[in-house]
Amino acid sequence: MFAYVVKRLISGVLVVTLVSMAIFLLFWYGPSSPAQPICDRETSNRCTPARLDTYERTLGYDNPVYVEYGKFVEGIFVGRTITIASSEYECGAPCLGVSFRTKQPVKEELVSRIPATFSIAIGGAFLYLLFGVPIGVAAAKRRGSVADKALVSSFLFISSIPYYLFALLTWLYLTITFEVPLFSDTGYFPITQDGPFKWFSGMFLAWVALGIFGCTQYTRFTRGAMVEALSEDYIRTAKAKGLPTRTIVYKHGLRAALVPVVTIFGIDFGTLLAGTIFTERIFEIQGIGWWALEAVQGRDLPVVQATALFSAVILICSNLLVDVVYSVLDPRVRLS
Amino acid sequence: MKRNKPLALVAGAALLTLAACGGGSSDDGDNGGGTDRTFGDQEGGTKDAERQGPAAEIEGAAAGGTITVYLPGDPGPDTLDPTAGWSVTGNSIQQALTSRSLTQYVRDEEGQPVLVPDLATDLGTANEDYTEWTFTIRDDATWEDGQPVTAEEVAFGICRSLDSDAFPSGAGTEYSKTYFEGAADYEGPYTGKDPKCENWSGISVEGQDITISMATPFPDMDYWGAFMAMGPAPLGNASKPPNYGTKPLSNGPYKVDSYKPNEELVLVKNDQWSADSDPGRHQYADEFVFKFNQDQAKVDEIMLSDNSDSQTAVSTGLGSDKYNDANSQLGDRLVQQTSQCVATLTPDYTKITDVNVRKALAYAYPYEDVWIAGGQVPGVTRIPANSVMPPGMAGKKDFQVDGEQITYDPEKSKELLAEAGYGDEPYPITMVFYEVDPLAVAAQDQITKGFEAGGFSVKAIPVQDSPYNVWLDPDNKVNKKLNLRGVSWCSDWPAGSTMLPPLLKGGAVYNTALFDEASVNDEMDNIATLPLEEQADAWGALDEKIMTEYFPIIPTAFLNDLFVFGSKIGNPTGDGSIGAPNYKDLYVMQ
Amino acid sequence: MSADTAGPETLGSLSTEPEHQDPNSQQAKEIAGKSPMRIALGRLAKDKIAVVCAVVVLFFIICAVFAGPISAAFGVSLETPLASERVDGLNQGLPKPEMGPPNGPFTMEHPMGVAPRTGEDNLAYWLYGCRVSLLIAATATLFASVVGVIVGLLAGFLGGAVDKMLSFFIDMFLTIPFLLAALTIAPIINDRFNLSDNYGTIQKTALIVVLSIFGWMGTARLIRGEVLALREREFVQAARVMGMPTRRILFKELLPNLAAPIIISISLMLPTFVALEAGLAFLGIGVTDGVSWGQTILKATNLTFFREYPQYLWQPLLGIVALVLSLNLLGDAVRDALDPKTRR
Repeated sequence: MFAYVVKRLISGVLVVTLVSMAIFLLFWYGPSSPAQPICDRETSNRCTPARLDTYERTLGYDNPVYVEYGKFVEGIFVGRTITIASSEYECGAPCLGVSFRTKQPVKEELVSRIPATFSIAIGGAFLYLLFGVPIGVAAAKRRGSVADKALVSSFLFISSIPYYLFALLTWLYLTITFEVPLFSDTGYFPITQDGPFKWFSGMFLAWVALGIFGCTQYTRFTRGAMVEALSEDYIRTAKAKGLPTRTIVYKHGLRAALVPVVTIFGIDFGTLLAGTIFTERIFEIQGIGWWALEAVQGRDLPVVQATALFSAVILICSNLLVDVVYSVLDPRVRLS
Repeated sequence: MKRNKPLALVAGAALLTLAACGGGSSDDGDNGGGTDRTFGDQEGGTKDAERQGPAAEIEGAAAGGTITVYLPGDPGPDTLDPTAGWSVTGNSIQQALTSRSLTQYVRDEEGQPVLVPDLATDLGTANEDYTEWTFTIRDDATWEDGQPVTAEEVAFGICRSLDSDAFPSGAGTEYSKTYFEGAADYEGPYTGKDPKCENWSGISVEGQDITISMATPFPDMDYWGAFMAMGPAPLGNASKPPNYGTKPLSNGPYKVDSYKPNEELVLVKNDQWSADSDPGRHQYADEFVFKFNQDQAKVDEIMLSDNSDSQTAVSTGLGSDKYNDANSQLGDRLVQQTSQCVATLTPDYTKITDVNVRKALAYAYPYEDVWIAGGQVPGVTRIPANSVMPPGMAGKKDFQVDGEQITYDPEKSKELLAEAGYGDEPYPITMVFYEVDPLAVAAQDQITKGFEAGGFSVKAIPVQDSPYNVWLDPDNKVNKKLNLRGVSWCSDWPAGSTMLPPLLKGGAVYNTALFDEASVNDEMDNIATLPLEEQADAWGALDEKIMTEYFPIIPTAFLNDLFVFGSKIGNPTGDGSIGAPNYKDLYVMQ
Repeated sequence: MSADTAGPETLGSLSTEPEHQDPNSQQAKEIAGKSPMRIALGRLAKDKIAVVCAVVVLFFIICAVFAGPISAAFGVSLETPLASERVDGLNQGLPKPEMGPPNGPFTMEHPMGVAPRTGEDNLAYWLYGCRVSLLIAATATLFASVVGVIVGLLAGFLGGAVDKMLSFFIDMFLTIPFLLAALTIAPIINDRFNLSDNYGTIQKTALIVVLSIFGWMGTARLIRGEVLALREREFVQAARVMGMPTRRILFKELLPNLAAPIIISISLMLPTFVALEAGLAFLGIGVTDGVSWGQTILKATNLTFFREYPQYLWQPLLGIVALVLSLNLLGDAVRDALDPKTRR
């Protein structure tokens, strides 16, 4: 197990390295000069070739690409000082660069964006389980009934609609057309500043949209796993012993059925944490996804780089974590 | 002066393409049962060197309250360093509230801006040929920490504006560098490693008097003095960039409480500011909160709802789709203000050499259609233009190149092309458009449609960042292919010298037409040496001469801004000098 | 677009793996004698939902293929009109009453009305938008499948170091956040080719390339798993013993047996790509010339247009929903038909 985790970690680091290299190269060899965006911004579009030259020189874009990549990596571990034209910016470890737009260290801004995205992820994921698991269990208990069939097909229907359209319609109709009071002002409001109610009501619609959409999948998984679990021998034994149905279903059946659900949940939670661009864009929640979208539009290269790396790291970690947890929950799985 | 938002890249790009209809300003607002409104036009050129503090009280004004300003689609300034600012957003806020300079504007009863003294006791005195200006710094102005603002600090602030590497976006790169003596060779206090500014000889301080020597005659120094770059900066490391830009020391009625770039700027009362020392500013509200990068639609909803949030709020923009509602609902609280900007198309003077072809382009441009597709309201946010000097600028002549306003007329365009000898085949036009903004794309579709109907063939090249990148870079491979460019330009002060030379002098950076006529260049140099009272008319005459003789630039529209004020904001007016709400005179009704 | 699951933010996964088909199952033996494809088709024909969905998909395909003639029949085109002829600039840029909704009655000249601000005909843009959508999705599916099948075949059959390396790449691509990557890459590709006369085509090609680059992993995994199972089967062993070249084994022996998983992965990819194309256009990247359902939706979500002219939003939206929905349900039915074990 330990060896496995180490192996996975090594391959994770390798992936992150490759991803960061790919992003680095992409910008380096992208068509316009990598210094062009900051030069335009700093000079209010008075970026003459001579000035562009200054920016390229101070940002190190005249060095070979591997030298600069080395500096970037060095910055992550020990921090560095970044020079832009004649201004110097201190960037402590782990240094992900300085935003071209705000001149703040990217790391600090990243940290300040995490609560919004985390709020989405925690609420959305909670609703996945809250809706998904009980409905799935109920459907499995009544397998084959009309209710079960109706449920399965209606959930299949919902999950077949592109998510962003579902979210967009939810927002347009509930917030704009019907002006439902609870949903009137979507967005991220920090608990510490605006209080828990404002935070809750700002997030609620996004959670509901995510929850309703995402729970269909959990229902399917739970139902499938429950159906399988309930046909196992030990359940038959339990039935033969005369245990009450409730005990059989919840204590014996559900416990076994939850294992695959937990794994999916872990990965989904990671995906949500890694940035929910559509959710944030539609419900105007200024988290990491929103930030990334803004950065791409504003050509804020250090931020784009940081968001992509952040997402990759989160995904790799959540995958690893899930595999480990899976092996603990289900003794049949042996990691190698 | 240009706006500094990335969407202002959009604005910049769109401005090229978005123009107004043939309606004219007389019929604007006359729809939907709304109020007939007149523009906050400006006559320009009025000065009052005698004005002393305190500024006259606004009738009915009350103290207290918080004013929230929404800036839709505008990320605001990247830095608050007064020397680095050259944007409508940043300068309008800081010059009105936090950062004083040599001179300033106040709004008179008719809504016209008047140039009055600020940190100087008057508007400065120049020698005969405007090569030396002396300003006397008043002794009663203070910083937010209570220390007096000294003449040395003002001189140091002015010296900073010469550091074009440390402040590449600053207006000093254009004016200080061009006009001040020895400025061209001086790298500035930071880049030149001259922290006390000892190596620049162009400025001298004697007691409270500051004397600036000019390399070339600079009759507009008093206007230039109204820029916050011409204000004080604490000596030494206290004002070192970039750190100073996050929390500059205030000397106006408000000081920076918190500042998150691209998000929010909170200003609170500066209790060290004394009204007696300032002829132009007030300190009514307790607090100003500027919210940048707001969503236009959301702000429109808030402002039109008149809920408790919006009653003490101001918005610096209004979506064109909301104009009808706003016009009928808001009355005086919707303010239209000329922004002193012109949008132009610039045919390459070296490639399109026949004036008839340039005029044909002007007739083939579907003004109203471009404008609607680009999300503007004809006759309201865009009005037809006859020349590059915006309406109301001192000396501006009311002439029309062809006797009447040029409007979309493809037949006339074809005739002109035939006259020029291009009647048989479509005349090829190559231009760029900003692809990222759907509105700019839609506007380009209209332009292409109009040009093709007028006898041209159009190759429109999409670009992913500001078209200015292409237009301003002589080595750009796309730029070399273009024969039609564009530029939107706003005046920095109400004089022709901030419009004509930057756009039409041979070799000027923003002369994207590459227009270069020796006689015009000489005339521009000559005007600067004329007696001050003759200059305005001379610029106006030159404007007319250029347009009628050469027609090197196609003015497509003059730009107007719309501001929305909450129902509890007192004195809802615009600032005619800069195209922003009149922050100096706002108050919250109690 | 980065993990193994179909979380909503991933727009449906590119890599959901249905359970493996067990060729030795009871059902499989009962229907021995018929080709698996025939059996599956027979099952599909009996599935009412599948038939309805197939008809809907067929409708969209006809719209896409014959966008030109249909537009001509209605007398509409993509041509940009002068905006002032069709929309009222002083009335929020909404269409003039004689152009149909929202301010006027239905008119045959513009059966679906015209767009606000530009006055472009909605029907023509809808038809051509359908074409763009299906074209991009189908091509991207084709490329992604080819890459996925080849990688899967090689990884599964060759095993060892090759398998390890390819699996590593599969995992790596799965951890790259797709939306971010697409957001970053698309403008760069566009920038490089903006001088070209075929810019529109190149832009779509770029989109197809981006979709394919991040879409092949699911197929590759599926095929790899399938090949790992097939590799040990007698007929493959026999071919090896006979000294058949690897390439022939791969393409003559293995590939025909992979029809089912390939169809399954295609049925998963098609709707995902349709949704993605529109989703990217909605975020402001991808197709930018206006002929895309996603772009129309972006324009129509302007709150004033949404309030005054909701039809403008609903037309492309229903197009996407109906197409994606029926592709998904059809795909589901196809998977069921191919693999009855997972049937509900």
